Amino acid sequence: MTELLKVSKLCIGLKPQTFPIVKNVSFALREGTSLAVVGESGSGKTITCKSIMQLLNPKTFQVSGSIRYRKTELLTMDEKGIRALCGSKIAMIVQNPMTAFDPTVKIGAQIVETLMAHQRISKRDAYASGILALQKMNLPRCEQLMDSYPYTLSGGMLQRIIIALSLIHEPDIIIADEATTSLDVKNQNMVLDELEKMKRNGIALLLVTHDFGVAAKLADNVIVMREGKIIERGTVYDIFESPREAYTKELLKASILKRGNCID
Amino acid sequence: MFRYIRKRLTNLIVVLFGVTVLSFLLSNISPVDPAEAYARRILKSPAPQKIEEIRLKMGLDLPLYQQYINWIGRCLRGDLGSSLLTKNPVNYDIAQKLPATMQLVAIALFWILISFIPIGIISAVRKNSLFDHLIKGVAILGISIPSFWLGFLFLFIFAVTFPVFKVIDYGNIKSLILPSLVLAIPTASSFVRLFRATVLSNLNKDYVVYAKARGISSNRIVWGHVLKNSLPPIVTLFFQHLGYMLAGSAVVESVFSLKGIGLHLLNAVTARDLPTINGCVLVIAIIFVLCSILADVINMVLNPRITDKEEGLYE
Ligand SMILES: Nc1ncnc2c1ncn2[C@@H]1O[C@H](COP(=O)(O)OP(=O)(O)OP(=O)(O)O)[C@@H](O)[C@H]1O
Ligand SMILES: [Mg+2]
Repeated sequence: MTELLKVSKLCIGLKPQTFPIVKNVSFALREGTSLAVVGESGSGKTITCKSIMQLLNPKTFQVSGSIRYRKTELLTMDEKGIRALCGSKIAMIVQNPMTAFDPTVKIGAQIVETLMAHQRISKRDAYASGILALQKMNLPRCEQLMDSYPYTLSGGMLQRIIIALSLIHEPDIIIADEATTSLDVKNQNMVLDELEKMKRNGIALLLVTHDFGVAAKLADNVIVMREGKIIERGTVYDIFESPREAYTKELLKASILKRGNCID
Repeated sequence: MFRYIRKRLTNLIVVLFGVTVLSFLLSNISPVDPAEAYARRILKSPAPQKIEEIRLKMGLDLPLYQQYINWIGRCLRGDLGSSLLTKNPVNYDIAQKLPATMQLVAIALFWILISFIPIGIISAVRKNSLFDHLIKGVAILGISIPSFWLGFLFLFIFAVTFPVFKVIDYGNIKSLILPSLVLAIPTASSFVRLFRATVLSNLNKDYVVYAKARGISSNRIVWGHVLKNSLPPIVTLFFQHLGYMLAGSAVVESVFSLKGIGLHLLNAVTARDLPTINGCVLVIAIIFVLCSILADVINMVLNPRITDKEEGLYE
């Protein structure tokens, strides 16, 4: 199995004194596997994900180390190169679908824009494939959806649109940062099912979550982060059966208490 | 949207009522007696009974509400009375002076529009760069310099030291360049500051991060999405300032000797020319309210969320 993403010795500091937020983080993501990043709030999970796509403001954050997609280094890539990869080879599912879209632009236009950023395609064709992509997600009345503003749609619908968008260019990697957190249980399960389907189709998943239930359902490997460092790593069985760190045990316990019946 | 416009037009009537009552009251509270002022203007030293005669003729002896009703009645028939100063119908005077000021303000608005959007965006995108710091300094200077001083400075530099323009050159567009710049600079400066802040806050929004994550270019994000989202507060302000400029053009008009409505109103105030004052206030108030309606309509187009807040998609 080829290694799709390899993060090594990633350090992220807050400028100007480069106060460290992420310290010496290394992990690899192989084709068709999924890696869960768990950890308490503020442990640096989101920052790590954002650094992969160069979404951190270089004026605020100092990033060092190496992030490779296949053989190419992403950290030193120019803006144009990284944008060409983002949304096509590496796609993202965001935490809060309600704020993810520009509120003043219709969904259809934002989908068309995404398609046209990566392909030579006419507006009309992009619109048609946008509708097709939404239909694949079992969304109702897709023509009407394309013609509506984001604020008129529910969080669950928007998250499904985001998932449709993430798949639209057949990516190798999908990064899902707390993709289920802001949703109700029904929509959470819908998103989890979709992620599972992606995994079966050979897409590598990088799952950020503080919910061990999600990790248990989808992940092959788990890394546990605390205060910017990886303090424990292993296969999903290792972590669940024999966690070494007290911190991991605590996280595990808190997670099981919260949604007791999710782990089977 | 049409329901909204109808609502705003009803508002217009309420506002106009308030403004006219207020201006009527204020001009009657002030200690100078308009009949006397008028009498003094036409006769060197008027006898008291002559003043009383004029007072009766002008209807100034009636109770205030009666005077107001009379005036409004005439206004509705399109008659704003006659100026005590020029003897012309107030309508006529305003029609004479307003176009010049409108032209001045329109050119000033043009300067504002072409400056604050690009400058504000570039300052925000290149926050803390040399350009940003430079603009910050210039903008603070632009906000704090008094108009008359800026006017004299411009005249001195561009008409005396380097005679690109003439000091008095009334009648063509070229003569409006300096005054419109003077009128535009304070507003443009404050707009740049405000717009930069709005753009900055929008640049930190989730939709920007997600757009980047989808591979949309920075230029497109900034000049498409962020710009569109940053405009609404400034649109409201823009049309408010249009009104302020019309009303406050007096300073600039007097520095550059332009015969516009601002100077006209200023002269009327000094001469206690009540019909002219009330007429000008009415016209300016109408323009103010129309501007704010226009601002709201533009904002609705920019951000549809304002319009159908109550009407969802799937009714
Ligand atoms: N823009 C920023 N400026 C300064 N500090 C930041 C910024 N964004 C994040 N941080 C800091 O970086 C650290 C890691 O944040 P991060 O968002 O990665 O946490 P997280 O693990 O995703 O937490 P959560 O589970 O709450 O999403 C936090 O301590 C946070 O205070
Ligand atoms: Mg996070």
